Amino acid sequence: MFHVIGRRSAPVTRLLASRGGVLVESVRGRKSRGDPVAKSKEGRIKVPPPVDPREMVVLKDRYTEYQLILKALRLEFREEVLRKKFEEETGSLAEERARQDAEEHRALMLWNQEENLRLLKARVLRVQKEEEEAERLKLEAVMKLEQQQQEFIKLKEKQVLQLQEEAKNFITMENLDQRIEEALDHPKNYNFAVDKEGRVVRKTVLQ
Amino acid sequence: MPMKGRFPIRRTLDYLQKGDIIFKNRVKVMTVNYNTQGELSDGARSFVFFNVPQIQYKNPWVQIMMFKNMTPSPFLKFYLDDGEQVLVDVEGKDHKQISQHVKKILGKSEDVLHAEAQARMQASNPANFGPKKYCLRECICEVDGQVPCPGTTPLPKEMTGKYRTKMAESQE
Repeated sequence: MFHVIGRRSAPVTRLLASRGGVLVESVRGRKSRGDPVAKSKEGRIKVPPPVDPREMVVLKDRYTEYQLILKALRLEFREEVLRKKFEEETGSLAEERARQDAEEHRALMLWNQEENLRLLKARVLRVQKEEEEAERLKLEAVMKLEQQQQEFIKLKEKQVLQLQEEAKNFITMENLDQRIEEALDHPKNYNFAVDKEGRVVRKTVLQ
Repeated sequence: MPMKGRFPIRRTLDYLQKGDIIFKNRVKVMTVNYNTQGELSDGARSFVFFNVPQIQYKNPWVQIMMFKNMTPSPFLKFYLDDGEQVLVDVEGKDHKQISQHVKKILGKSEDVLHAEAQARMQASNPANFGPKKYCLRECICEVDGQVPCPGTTPLPKEMTGKYRTKMAESQE
């Protein structure tokens, strides 16, 4: 029924029960609405605490004065806190600070812009260089291809000329008889001898 | 038990608390556009890998987004609360240079941070007693070396009020 205020541990309740006189407040606890009154409390009449009228008058005056002062103090403190907050947010100092912040921000943004421009220039240069490089490589490839083609043509021309030269010595139907006669008249000896020192001898006898 | 990931030190509280970029209150969103390949995006990639966790830890209310392989060159973009957008080109830069640059243009300066820390200290005086939400201690009985709470251990008889009044009365 009686609820104990504050953090108390279980072992303390035993001590409290033996000591008595603990600060408690009454709370609707164990008994419900319809339960009868306890036997020990049957004839109990609840009497309000006794009041001395003279003392009461004096006390009332004093209490009103005291409460007035305290309320005024509380309001003063609350107003001070609010005023400080207001000053902080929208006072003259705050405006000054905001202006300075804006100035600094503008300066920093300018600096950032300059950095960006610098990087932009560098990037443009680099891209240009890369383009030029690509162009150069392409031209070089084309030139190389052309050169190769030219060389090929030259080679083929040389081969054709050489063939023409050789064609003069070919054996045709017209000079067949003549060539046969020539071959028979001038027998050629292909035999030769070589020794270990590398001396070649071609003066062998044809049989 | 080994730590997980490539550079698991990035996940330690120590590393995160060492981040020194604290954005001004105006910055709301940070966007990083970078490429996963290419030498020019190297710095941006390192920045995202090493510095962005620190930044997010120190600025939990700033939204940070990464966009990969959307533009040929890497950049950072900041969106402030008055609609202003700040573009920072980071092509070819090192991650240290990038973080220094960002700190210079949009980070809170050292003296501002000091002033804020001072204000915080002034607002919360550790010598005050009160509710746990606002102060460190509620009662002197919580401090080591002081008289323990009479709620937990009973006071010696000589300290109780009723004994003292009894003594005072018996002496009179």
